[in-house]
Amino acid sequence: MVQGQRALIALVPALGAVGLLLAGCPSPAPRPTPPESSAPYVTPPSETPVPTLPPQRPPQPPREHHLSPATRSLVTQAHSQLSRGDVDGASLTLDRALRIEPSNPLLWTELARVRLAENDAHQAEECARKAWALAAGDLAAQTQAAHALVDALRMQGRNQDAQQIEKSMQ
Amino acid sequence: MHLDRLVTREFQGRHWSVPARVYAAPLELYAGAPVSAADLEEQLRLLHYRRGDPSKGPGLYRRVGNGFELHARRVRFIDELREPRIVSIHADGSSITSMRQGDGNDLPVFRLDPPVIGSVFPVHGEDRLVMAPADAPPLLRQGIKLIEDRRFDEHHGIDPLGIARAIWADLRAQRLVQGGSTLTQQLVKNYFLSDEQTLSRKVTEAVMAWRLEAHYSKEEILIAYLNEVYLGQDGARAIHGFGLASEYYFAEPLDELDAAEMALLIGLVKGPSYYDPRKHPDRAIARRNLVLRELFESHLIDAATAQRAAAAPLGLKPPSGSYVPAYVDLVRRDLKRDYAEADLAAAGLSVYTSLDPRAQAAAERALMQNLARLDARSRLRGAPLEGAVVIIEPNSGDVVGVVGGREVGSAGGFNRALDGRRPIGSLVKPAVYLTALESGRYNAATLIDDAPIELKLSDGSIWVPQNFDRELHGKVPLARALAESMNLATVRLGLDLGLPKVAETLERLGLPPPALNPSLLLGTVEATPLEVVRMYTSLANGGFRARLRAVRAVLDDQGRPLKTFKVEVESAAPSAAVYELDRMLMLVATHGTAREAAARLPRGLSFAGKTGTSSDTRDSWFAGFTGSYLSVVWVGYDDNRVTGLTGAQGALPVWADTVAALKPVSFDPVAPDPVEDRWIGFADGLETTPACSADAVVIAVPKDTTLPEDPNCNPSQPKFSQPATLGDKIKSWFKGNVH
Repeated sequence: MVQGQRALIALVPALGAVGLLLAGCPSPAPRPTPPESSAPYVTPPSETPVPTLPPQRPPQPPREHHLSPATRSLVTQAHSQLSRGDVDGASLTLDRALRIEPSNPLLWTELARVRLAENDAHQAEECARKAWALAAGDLAAQTQAAHALVDALRMQGRNQDAQQIEKSMQ
Repeated sequence: MHLDRLVTREFQGRHWSVPARVYAAPLELYAGAPVSAADLEEQLRLLHYRRGDPSKGPGLYRRVGNGFELHARRVRFIDELREPRIVSIHADGSSITSMRQGDGNDLPVFRLDPPVIGSVFPVHGEDRLVMAPADAPPLLRQGIKLIEDRRFDEHHGIDPLGIARAIWADLRAQRLVQGGSTLTQQLVKNYFLSDEQTLSRKVTEAVMAWRLEAHYSKEEILIAYLNEVYLGQDGARAIHGFGLASEYYFAEPLDELDAAEMALLIGLVKGPSYYDPRKHPDRAIARRNLVLRELFESHLIDAATAQRAAAAPLGLKPPSGSYVPAYVDLVRRDLKRDYAEADLAAAGLSVYTSLDPRAQAAAERALMQNLARLDARSRLRGAPLEGAVVIIEPNSGDVVGVVGGREVGSAGGFNRALDGRRPIGSLVKPAVYLTALESGRYNAATLIDDAPIELKLSDGSIWVPQNFDRELHGKVPLARALAESMNLATVRLGLDLGLPKVAETLERLGLPPPALNPSLLLGTVEATPLEVVRMYTSLANGGFRARLRAVRAVLDDQGRPLKTFKVEVESAAPSAAVYELDRMLMLVATHGTAREAAARLPRGLSFAGKTGTSSDTRDSWFAGFTGSYLSVVWVGYDDNRVTGLTGAQGALPVWADTVAALKPVSFDPVAPDPVEDRWIGFADGLETTPACSADAVVIAVPKDTTLPEDPNCNPSQPKFSQPATLGDKIKSWFKGNVH
């Protein structure tokens, strides 16, 4: 457990870099261009400074997202639907869960997974990006979102982008 | 024999055309759901569940204190056909506390039946709710034969005695006045033939009725008649069949009607507009009591029942309770892209939507109450104020409510939420400021000049914009210029950024491409409330545009899914810039033009939004969001008269009252990695602390931005360690539980 925590802490600066990648891609359509060529917030990950909090800033609150018993039961149901190949069913079940907790990043990551199963790589990417944005301040949730994003990028053949994010997560 | 084929083909193929039924989203119940015991009972009542012993069958529930035992009916959802089941539900004064299945096991989530909100009837307006033979109450069967066609069980479709009587009446009046028709003939007439009263049509009708009787049983014909007959008019919507009429007049299912109500419906067959109980209650009561006497004389009801029923009031209920025509209008337009009108109107489809009846009701009530208040205050003559509301869940894009005007219950009227295209005034400004933040050249503390400006337009004329208050504010931080909706500062900012850039942002947010006129910066661009919602979705949603979704799925008449509409999101703007903008839109609420909303909202609720007022106050707008919903309100006159109302005076109260009724959650976005929250003086934009400056406000800027400091303060001192001075948002951080 301690080790797990340490691993997560090690991810902090790295995930910061993923965040920059994510923030820099407001692209409405899949784009093959590497992310560093796009928007003002993009910085190549190697140059990303380790964020240190100046003493006068508010301590960034650790946010932790959980599934409620209701949405957990629906996610469990969606998983079993996926495992029997009922992708449409899983999609509808997650739709139900999102009505209950529309801004829970864990559900948006789950939705990204279902979109992957539907071979809808573009929506998978967008859902993963949204999960990432909603998970700001929650390392565990952001990590999950980043993994889904990597898979979505690979499905589109954007291996370079995917590698960049993976590298920064190692 | 041609008629014979026509009769059998039509009647066999589809006994009657069944418009698509449109359903609201089912209410999801789970521990913690914001549904009180009283709310739950209200919902059960709206779904026609009755108090009783739930072990006796579906449709019954028992309430003991705050505990409910419910025998849920067989019900179809998009993703499942759920068989009847018994569940027990506990609630308290504010929410659901626990749920169990019949076998005592924990039940994590359970949904109630999706309520019906309307139907997609065809252009000629025929709407009906089809009943099966088992659903036709005996009193209705006997009563309709008694009043309309006494020899129905004996004749072969035509009743010579009836015809003789009719001819006699026609001769006396020297024209065709009386049908003398059997139920079968009436059915044929409604079903196959036009309305003209000619002799040849009467012959055709008689032949077809006779053929119909030859091919089908009395039972089939009677049920078809009960489903077909015309019983009233609701705007463009024609009420057909007793099933729908029961809902339309009494908001009850047919089998729950008492003798008085049933007699009224039976009496209506003779002349639904002449005996319209809403327009002519005296005629309707007289007709009803005539029917009651006949029912009594034929021993279908006893004397006591007849007397009680004849003394009863009409007992009409408003039809708007469950019907939401403005929303169904949106559904119909969405579906027209994929379905032929004829299928929607006749193929018996089921359409499942995102409508949340509670959000819809809250918006309707808020609009009607405020318009009545504002009308009473204004001394202007002419048509009353109108308004429109669209309310959505911004993450998913689910449209949860649409109000198209103050006549919420009637179909076919002008739907201002979808078709009311008006100048959006200052609602356009967030797009200007977002463009500024995205450029990287401005942040919320950057000073801009609110000073006079003159522009030569392409047509040679000179444009001299002015502030609403006709004052000049000099150098002001961006955040204040937006919060107080300063026109001159905004025009200068927009011209510096370039009109094409601003137009590009508007397009990215989902508005149609605007004309590149400088007045665009002050909102001469026109949009409908629905389009404004689309534009603001990205702002309420961390930069993600969600496709607006009214229809979730369409099922065929066998319950098979034909099409489902998934949640779709798309990045439209960088989340960091949107967060910076949202922080400014929150200042609109606390320090700017929308601060008067606080009095109507729960204490401490934070929200973000923007007021809009078009030239000379012809249009009053507000667009705003909490943590739960995004909603846009328009108030104005249909004939475009001056209202005298700013966005804050007209639309904002409607918005706030809607939100307040919906157990709102604060808008509480988390700063994305590249930005952070800082304090500045609202007036001067200098970095400060709340301890030092009374007008300190939170803005967001890119990390490591250098802000000029207030010389009278020492902002480098720790300022987030004094809980007494911190805002609600930061308090919640320390509680460590923000979700």
